[in-house]
Amino acid sequence: MSDLPPRSSVKRWLVTTNHKDVGILYLLTSVFFLVAAGVLALLIRIQLLQSGGTILSGVGYNQVVTAHGFIMIFWFLSPFAFGFANYFVPLQIGADDLAFPRLNAMSYWLYLFSGVLVLGSFFQGATFMGGWTAYAPLNVPAYIPEFGEVGSFATIVALIAFVGSVTIGSVNFLTTIYRMRAKGLRMRDIPLFSISILVTVWMMLFAFAAYLAALIILSSDHLLHTSFFALETGSGPEATDSGSLLWTHLFWFFGHPEVYIVFFPALGALAEMVQTFAGRRLVGRKWFIISMALVGIQSFIVWMHHMFLTSINLEIKTVIMVTTVAISLPFDLMVFSLIYTMIKGKIRWKTPFLFSIGSLVIFIIGGITGVFLGAIVLDYSFRGTYWVVAHFHYVMASSAVILIGAVYYWYPKMTGKMYNEFLGKAHFVTSFIGFNMLYFPMFIVWETPRRVFHYDSGFTPFHLLATAGAFIFAGSFLIMFYNLFASLYSDRHVDESPWAYASSPEWAVSSPPPLDNFPGKPSFASGKLNFLDRAGTDGGAKSETATDGGVATGDETLAPPEEHADHASWWPIMVSSSVLFAGLGISGLSVSYAVWPFALAIPAFIGFLGVEGARQDGFALIHGIYVMVAFPLTVALLILFHLGIGIFEAVGNASPYFWVGLIGSVWGSYTLAGFGYESFEVPEPKMAEQWPFESVENTKLGMWAFIASDIIVFGAFVGAYIFTRFEYGWEAWWHIAEDPSAHTMAGQALEHHPVLPGLINTYLLLASSFTVVLALTAARHKGNYSLGPLTISSRQATLGFLGMTFMGAAGFLVNKGIEWVDLYLHQGWTFGVDVMSSTFYLTTGMHGLHVIIGMLVLLFLIARTYTGAYVGENEDAGTLEYFGLYWHFVDIVWLFLFPLFYIL
Amino acid sequence: MASTKTYTAIFVALMALSTTQAAVEWLGLLEENYWPILGVILVLSSLKAMAVAGWFMHLREEPRSVTYVALTGLVGVLALTAGASYSII
Ligand SMILES: [Cu+2]
Repeated sequence: MSDLPPRSSVKRWLVTTNHKDVGILYLLTSVFFLVAAGVLALLIRIQLLQSGGTILSGVGYNQVVTAHGFIMIFWFLSPFAFGFANYFVPLQIGADDLAFPRLNAMSYWLYLFSGVLVLGSFFQGATFMGGWTAYAPLNVPAYIPEFGEVGSFATIVALIAFVGSVTIGSVNFLTTIYRMRAKGLRMRDIPLFSISILVTVWMMLFAFAAYLAALIILSSDHLLHTSFFALETGSGPEATDSGSLLWTHLFWFFGHPEVYIVFFPALGALAEMVQTFAGRRLVGRKWFIISMALVGIQSFIVWMHHMFLTSINLEIKTVIMVTTVAISLPFDLMVFSLIYTMIKGKIRWKTPFLFSIGSLVIFIIGGITGVFLGAIVLDYSFRGTYWVVAHFHYVMASSAVILIGAVYYWYPKMTGKMYNEFLGKAHFVTSFIGFNMLYFPMFIVWETPRRVFHYDSGFTPFHLLATAGAFIFAGSFLIMFYNLFASLYSDRHVDESPWAYASSPEWAVSSPPPLDNFPGKPSFASGKLNFLDRAGTDGGAKSETATDGGVATGDETLAPPEEHADHASWWPIMVSSSVLFAGLGISGLSVSYAVWPFALAIPAFIGFLGVEGARQDGFALIHGIYVMVAFPLTVALLILFHLGIGIFEAVGNASPYFWVGLIGSVWGSYTLAGFGYESFEVPEPKMAEQWPFESVENTKLGMWAFIASDIIVFGAFVGAYIFTRFEYGWEAWWHIAEDPSAHTMAGQALEHHPVLPGLINTYLLLASSFTVVLALTAARHKGNYSLGPLTISSRQATLGFLGMTFMGAAGFLVNKGIEWVDLYLHQGWTFGVDVMSSTFYLTTGMHGLHVIIGMLVLLFLIARTYTGAYVGENEDAGTLEYFGLYWHFVDIVWLFLFPLFYIL
Repeated sequence: MASTKTYTAIFVALMALSTTQAAVEWLGLLEENYWPILGVILVLSSLKAMAVAGWFMHLREEPRSVTYVALTGLVGVLALTAGASYSII
């Protein structure tokens, strides 16, 4: 914990955990990526000035198109919306901050550094070239030119880091919106923007988890040479490229909800702006919200409309066509509700409203042209043409246009200054003309093939028009940048609200709002927003604290909570920066062959746990042991390293990736230990509306949300296995091994039909689950245990059970190690021998990784228990319970892996 | 939280069910009657998972809404697996 410097200091922006600061950081960074991806778009348009291209090579064009898609969708659109979400959700629901402010800062820094990774990939030979959909098999090494391998893999690593940021953010917002609402604010009364964010984070939590699984499998195809996405089954005319099909399933299961993930925050902002500038409440508000929730659910059962031209069967295509058409119905309802609100209200034609109505026109065009694509027969003609390109730019860019409107809408709130209305309107007019000039011609020359810069030369005038439109559209943003910048220094001061009919709570506080948001404790209990005296409401007798994964110091009782809330920490940026270095190192694995730096992270982490523990809790024996254990472990790894590839030669010839990877993993070990040990106070409000999670503490709800997303990650691995096995022939699976020509090695693996190692590991994991429960019971036990003549304190018992859990996990890994060494080394059943080995090693390996992570956390918990935490009347055993949830979940996963991979 | 006695009983049951799953394979029942036994084995795994989630993870004592959070993830992934697998049958 450190103090929060003033906003004029650079340090403030590096250490801040305040939601408004983080929101501003998100907004500025995403605008940077908008400009980057916008420049790429201009390059595309210049290339398309004539058929056959003008300035880019084929390889260059592929990179530009791919990166434009990735950066616009991931690094601009969503983070731009979440900049607003960060700033306004707590204000709208009457919370002081998000539930986990440090994790919120970490989301931001992970986002930024993942973006640095993806931009950096251009300079690592070449960035990924296979389009933002990354269709298989163009996403696997065999189909990527050698000079592009490192950069392509760097792109994948960047995406994984980005998903990490998104998942942390989703968990944070879910917990905040459910648990931190001001008194009297029922779920249905939450302002529409915050409601839209709630629906969005639910979708994000699940959709991005599926994408994470797909990316991890893809990484395994790159690094371990497993064969998931390049897989072809059968031969001759019967052959299907089931690997490509698997990718499209996983990708679009994520990809379709992603469209709404991008669109919904904008939709929420649109609803707010329409209400404000029409001067009335949204017509059919309740149905608007129900529609949003319905679309959120439906979005997960329409993904195969992106696969009408693959070999999936006609029955499923028909089902999907129906669900796809059905999903447009709630959208119609929402659009009508917005239009009807405008008709019933009295419109004030301010800049934000111009953008709102403009975006609605754009969205309607995009929506209607999309219904064409949803019809199987029409899709046969439209797929892979500029009809698709025009359609999804109308949809995606309509959310960008809404959010630009939202910039004007909320700018006065965030800065305390009013923008220039004339320049705002000028921006709208130029951008609306530019936008339609850019994209509408694409509908007319829709027969232009997508992702290719060769087209019918008769189309040239239309492409010329589109390029001109692109420059007008891009230029219009200069007006905005100037306006916003100049207005910052103007004297057009704003009080609470510049809008006569703005009704959501953020307009009830000063502009910009103070650090702790409200002049008193916000409450809706009387039916409207008012502010109560803080000291009288919470932080009085007893305030609970959430520790955000860190350590609570449990002795604050009397003073108001805002004096305790911490707002600054160096650890989020430091942990995230280690991801940048480690990610760079990993991206070079195919040329550096350097897994060793990453193995060294484990002893480094143990050592740093000892050092940080001694610094924070005072030196104790356990810290000494950790440091002492770290050394021989390091030496043992170095010896293995030497025996494996020869340490002196390897280090002498090491590529830069080796060193960057080494720095990243050691830095990561240190910063994670520091993050865990930092004492960071976040008061959990005593007086808040928390339906339907009243009795579930913030951290516990966060943990469950995380577990729900991890269910999708593991489920997607298992799903990939089941899909591949069905494709191969479910019952013929084990006979892969009996095909002597192709799979002699696997034949031997089959001889040892491996139920026993699986069963032993099941026993070990179940036992370790049991001991975690006992550890928690002991921690909450009052007084000592007496076993005959022996007296054992509850602390000793807790330590003993935690130690046993650790040993159970270690036994699990040793047993797994023996099994893997036998299969891999002795029987030559390597990762990529066949589909069976690929699915086996990846799925059980990812599970093993969860076990290892759990063991490292256990070491932290053991040290903390040893030095006095968690056990006893004044200590909170919550952290042990939350760890237990994670550990039992890992256990449950194994309960299914065991039969699926060892018995059936 | 339940009593230590309950936890122990759950633990013993979990171990026994796991042994049953392996025994089914060892006794050769699976080869004789593949699909019904596959069903039995997966039902046993689900029972075990429910026991761990219900007692060890205390879902029985939490508000039902917490269970729904986890179930939503499960339903999502079942939709993915079933949809994808059905699409190629
Ligand atoms: Cu779609």
